[in-house]
Amino acid sequence: MNLLNYVPGDSFLHKLNPVTKLLAAFLYGIAAIICGNVFAEVGLIILMILISATCGIAKRAILLTRNLFFLGLIMFVIQLFFVRDGEPLAVIGGFVLFTTGGLKSALLLSLRVIAAMLPLMLLFAITQMNDLCNALVKRLHLPYRYAFIVTTAFRFVPIFATEFHDIQDAQKARGVDFDTKNIFRKIGLVAPLCVPLLVSSLKKVDVSAMSAEMRGFELRGYKSGYKEYPFGVRDLVTVAVLVALIAITALWGA
Amino acid sequence: MIRFENVSFGYSEKRPILNDLSFHIEKGDFVALIGANGAGKSTISRLVNGLLHPTKGHVYLNGKDTLKTPSSTLARDCGFLFQNPDRQICENTVKDEIAFSMKAQGWPSDLIADRTRAVLETFDLDPEWFPFSRSRGERQRIALASVLACEPGLLILDEPTTGLDYLECIRIMDHVTGLNQEKGVTVLMVSHDMELVQSYAKNVLVLNHGQILGQGPTNEMMKNVEVLKKARVLPAQIPELALRFGDEFKDVFTVEDMLAALRGRAGKGGAL
Repeated sequence: MNLLNYVPGDSFLHKLNPVTKLLAAFLYGIAAIICGNVFAEVGLIILMILISATCGIAKRAILLTRNLFFLGLIMFVIQLFFVRDGEPLAVIGGFVLFTTGGLKSALLLSLRVIAAMLPLMLLFAITQMNDLCNALVKRLHLPYRYAFIVTTAFRFVPIFATEFHDIQDAQKARGVDFDTKNIFRKIGLVAPLCVPLLVSSLKKVDVSAMSAEMRGFELRGYKSGYKEYPFGVRDLVTVAVLVALIAITALWGA
Repeated sequence: MIRFENVSFGYSEKRPILNDLSFHIEKGDFVALIGANGAGKSTISRLVNGLLHPTKGHVYLNGKDTLKTPSSTLARDCGFLFQNPDRQICENTVKDEIAFSMKAQGWPSDLIADRTRAVLETFDLDPEWFPFSRSRGERQRIALASVLACEPGLLILDEPTTGLDYLECIRIMDHVTGLNQEKGVTVLMVSHDMELVQSYAKNVLVLNHGQILGQGPTNEMMKNVEVLKKARVLPAQIPELALRFGDEFKDVFTVEDMLAALRGRAGKGGAL
């Protein structure tokens, strides 16, 4: 399953204006960032999984949480050993390995990373990138060039993920064993894959740019699209709920 | 060499790609997998070397169950040439690229050096070239050289000549045929190019919607219009022309055969 592809649906969130979805994802991220309580961060992650369930993408949300957990783990280790506030918790031979402040900070930051990134990643599942681009141009009058850059960057993420998977398959077929449990060996094995990925990405971007130019990319303005993206009551309600969520996390989650 | 036992595969249960497929390929054979887009050709090739695993049934390569053997281990028996060489090439010089697979498979360094030298010579490649800046044909040649450096007993070619000019195509295919005929390397080729299949493959497996429609010697299958039609495949031009001429031309498969048959008919004073 590609975790970043669009999943068609008819849910409340699917029907929101794409600009609202983007704004909502950012607001949810802000709520996660200002939240200073470990339990509240866990609550935000669970809440996001429950929200995803209403769109039929709960399984994807859980898989994404699991993947983000590994990123969170890296942040956890860094924070644990580098933040030296509070009382010593683990001491080896007189050397303080980590402290209470380090543990709290590590837990909080790793959960914050997951809670802040999850809504942005789930945005891919409920929003067509073309719609997001067109809505940014139509509603916010963002120059098409910049809207295109933003949405193309998002659009290329799953393409590059697939490309990376194919490159990895090609190396497996040559005898590279990626199943090693040694993390340093794994990094050493994955690093060379960046070269073909970079080469194919640059080629793809170059071809896409030429193709866009050949189809009158420069002529497009905010009046070019025929599809309208009106804001409705549900958009207003969504933003209001998220502002309230930020207020709650600021008041009780600090 | 390769055995498929009641193999089914699909990314979801609703849309199976392969459905209860059973066949085997003998050592030293040169088999072409043909069929329309989405017939399951590339899926079969990826099931053989363990990049994909069957959802039902078993695939055996040299007696090893691909479900139980990692693809990195199967790679010792099986070289895989991808359609796009850019997915495979990952080193900054041709010599490092050729040595890559051997290093990954744990070959001793003196043997790697010897094999690299030999392969560079065979494929007429400069060891210091930066592979990414070479032409498409040269990159494909580098990729093939890198695969063959490990001397695999089975070679899988996934659309090996796409985007190559005629000479480069012939160069690569002649080399593969040489390995098949002289060293007994088994070849499994996925291709849409029926001229290529007609010229090089000994046997053909015709696929349609994940099922085998027909299998047998290439010449025989190329004249099985019914099966090819069902598989939405056009036969190679010479066998197709021969079919239209009728029974007298039933053994015509190449340009030379056609020329001889036409001369024969003209000699008898027959109309073309």
